Amino acid sequence: MVTASSVGRAVGHVEGPGKVSGRAQYTADLTLPGILAGKCLRSPFAHARIRSIDTTRARALPGVRAVLTSVDLPDRNIGRRVLDIPMLARDRVRFIGEKVAAVAAESADIAEEAILLIDVDYEELPAVFDAVEAMKDGAPILHDNAAAYAGMPQPLPDFPNAVSQVFYRKGDIKTGFAEADRIFEHTFYAPSVHQGYLEPHACVVQIEAGGRINAWLSNKTPFTARAQLAAALDVPEQRIVVHLMPLGGDFGGKGSLMDTVVCYYLAERSGAPVKMVMTYTEELMAGNPRHTTVVTMRTGVTNDGRMTARQAKFISNSGAYAAFVPSPLATLHGATHTAGAYRVPHVEVEALRVYTNTVPTGHMRAPGAPQAVFAEEVHMDMVANELGLDPVELRLRNSLVEGDESSLGEHWQSIMSKETLRAAARDARWGEAKPPNVGRGIALYERTPGTGESTETLTIDADARITLLTAVPDTGTGSHTILQQIVAEELQVPISSVAVQAGDTDIAAYDSGAGGSRVTHAAGRATQATAVELRKALIELAARIFGTGPESVSLQGGRFVAAADQLTLAELMLRARELEEAPITRQGSYVSPRGHSEVTSFAAQIAEVEVDRETGQVTIRRVVSAHDVGRIINPLTHQGQIEGGIVQAIGQTLTEQLIVADGSVTNPNLGDYKLPTMADIPALSTLLLETRHGPAPYEGKAIGELSNVALPAAIANAVYDAVGVRLTALPITAEKVYMALQAREGTGA
Amino acid sequence: MKQIELRVNGERVVREVADSRLLLDFLRNDLGLTGSKEGCSIGVCGACTVLLDGQAISSCLALAVFADKHDVTTIEGLAEDGRLHPLQQAFIDFGGFQCGICTSGQIMSAKALLDSNAHPSEGEIKAWMMGNLCRCTGYYKIIESIQAAAEGRVGA
Repeated sequence: MVTASSVGRAVGHVEGPGKVSGRAQYTADLTLPGILAGKCLRSPFAHARIRSIDTTRARALPGVRAVLTSVDLPDRNIGRRVLDIPMLARDRVRFIGEKVAAVAAESADIAEEAILLIDVDYEELPAVFDAVEAMKDGAPILHDNAAAYAGMPQPLPDFPNAVSQVFYRKGDIKTGFAEADRIFEHTFYAPSVHQGYLEPHACVVQIEAGGRINAWLSNKTPFTARAQLAAALDVPEQRIVVHLMPLGGDFGGKGSLMDTVVCYYLAERSGAPVKMVMTYTEELMAGNPRHTTVVTMRTGVTNDGRMTARQAKFISNSGAYAAFVPSPLATLHGATHTAGAYRVPHVEVEALRVYTNTVPTGHMRAPGAPQAVFAEEVHMDMVANELGLDPVELRLRNSLVEGDESSLGEHWQSIMSKETLRAAARDARWGEAKPPNVGRGIALYERTPGTGESTETLTIDADARITLLTAVPDTGTGSHTILQQIVAEELQVPISSVAVQAGDTDIAAYDSGAGGSRVTHAAGRATQATAVELRKALIELAARIFGTGPESVSLQGGRFVAAADQLTLAELMLRARELEEAPITRQGSYVSPRGHSEVTSFAAQIAEVEVDRETGQVTIRRVVSAHDVGRIINPLTHQGQIEGGIVQAIGQTLTEQLIVADGSVTNPNLGDYKLPTMADIPALSTLLLETRHGPAPYEGKAIGELSNVALPAAIANAVYDAVGVRLTALPITAEKVYMALQAREGTGA
Repeated sequence: MKQIELRVNGERVVREVADSRLLLDFLRNDLGLTGSKEGCSIGVCGACTVLLDGQAISSCLALAVFADKHDVTTIEGLAEDGRLHPLQQAFIDFGGFQCGICTSGQIMSAKALLDSNAHPSEGEIKAWMMGNLCRCTGYYKIIESIQAAAEGRVGA
């Protein structure tokens, strides 16, 4: 039985001092003797053939040390799963911002000057930007033989520019619609948005004389990055060391190599280490933002509001390449959330992914789910409205309860759907009177904890210093503090006596990296297992010293106690030194079960908004965020995940979108791409309904991707409640609300 | 090239810099003070905030020559005798940071705020700090951290 001395405490120990003092070194902060700056020339055309590239003038510029085009590189593509993106464009560019050539120079200024001296002769080709248009017969084709790309699921679906088409089915959709009294169908749109981390992608590559390759990357999956880099360079993985760097924000966006491969070849060609740091403009025009989606929802219900069938078609715009999505099916798994967090007997979800001549898209915090749940939960409200039912009541009537099967056939313990909905509604004064032009909207979401694999290494030395060696990168979520708390808990020592060392891929053991709400679960369980092993070793040592069996020794209040003897940890380790048994190191591993999860987590979010009828401006007055949670290991970082996710969701509902005109991002800077500021945040009420049965240590559950998904629909539903206009396309800008109000008044409605 | 003489975190610095050298690049690359970060590069995100004679500025928009004969304070100059400034401690205690990339700028802006207004209201904090973007925290805990530092509720 744990004593809960360390777990459950709001602490920010490990990461804090370095970050508040400016000492924490991020990738862009690194320097090495003789380091060069790398820059890329990017395509100004959405779709064009490259007739020729002349680098003569760039090479002649003083201070330029290497210039590369595709002819200098191996004929290999790169990617997280589907290998379809060339290191540098070969004979063709497919989006505005695609890398065409690269330069390494003695300063970033010289490199920037040099890329302007590279002459490229392009022949423009017909382009297509919209996913629905790209699927039609006769659309311009981006990839002549996409089926041949390594990692591309086979067979390729039978429509133009196809990346993937995946069906998720339960029951029989025809039967379900036949059982319905009424059937509703609506279509929704969500634009591409950027993860918005303030640290643009950065990498440093150094090649040692013996051929060892050192890579410092703003990457959240170091071992996966090493494998991808090894494949790209065609070298054994063991020749590469990926160094763990703190990430200046991730939110799903930092799982690819981005410029690393080009950086390697610049280092190889120039014979010097090279650093590449993207500008924010490059991030916005050529990062790996969220997919634009068009989602059609079709739901059959009985007259009393019970769902009989649900069908969804989720079309996502992959952009010019599929390389940034790691799914084995090359799909956005979040599309499954169109099925809803409800009891529905007959379901069919079709998820499509399509190439277009736009920025290649990748993963962002609950990939696919925000778009799916925006569609699904606004649709729910529209159905409630048509049936004359209260939106909370419709959701309660279709809520999962213990023993139910989910919309896609899962069975979970401790289902908290109704409790979460009711708690949110109560706190938001749902149903109570409101001032004019004020509305409330609700949305519900459910997500299972993430899965992963991890091995952790724990050492205690003769001075009783405890160090956890981990390959989990610090993405800002406080994961190192959580691991530290777990070690402290199991060894009954103060949190501050446990050091956490982020080890590179040579010295730390395998970890699947940050992402998919997996770290506290997988790395947490591995850390716990490791600490338990170390505790066992310490108890055995104490038993030998006491001259008794290990079963007679226990760890109590930080002391190793037998019948007549006791030792503190420090005393025990002094004896270990005398016995030449220090330091003591143990390793522990954990591989989470894949596929079915025993539990899920519900999030019911309510927005209260006020709409200015004169301008269409939407102001969010209050947000209620109700979560069914497991045991919370660190309340401070747990709440931080909720608050950060909510404000991201607000940005993505009201102000954020990559505005793309003819394939060109027209707002490629943070002045025009509007992230929320401190002045934009509403009053917030967080409700935590604690259950157990979570898979993380001490029955914890995930939170990171539960705060940012339901809220956009809740806000849209609140706008409808406030002024009666129904917006089905994000973002909900003042202009759109104003035009919708005008249109309604024009029709005399 | 121009020779500039300035004080950085209390120490006299004399350097030759190009006329076009940005203050941010001068601090990061020439002086190795990498606590100030480059985010947006256009003075919008606030990650590069430093104090010039006590005033918060975006060092990505200022030229190094502009700091000639002036006092510059960066995040590295805030701790005294190895003790964190109360704002720094508050950001740890109250969860005012996550990934940390905006944190130097947040703390420098907050310092300029508290130096000019020791007890700001929540509205004054929001109005002052809206030039410092943060994508991780949602800002709630940054506000709390600044309030805690202002009220001396730090290091308990």
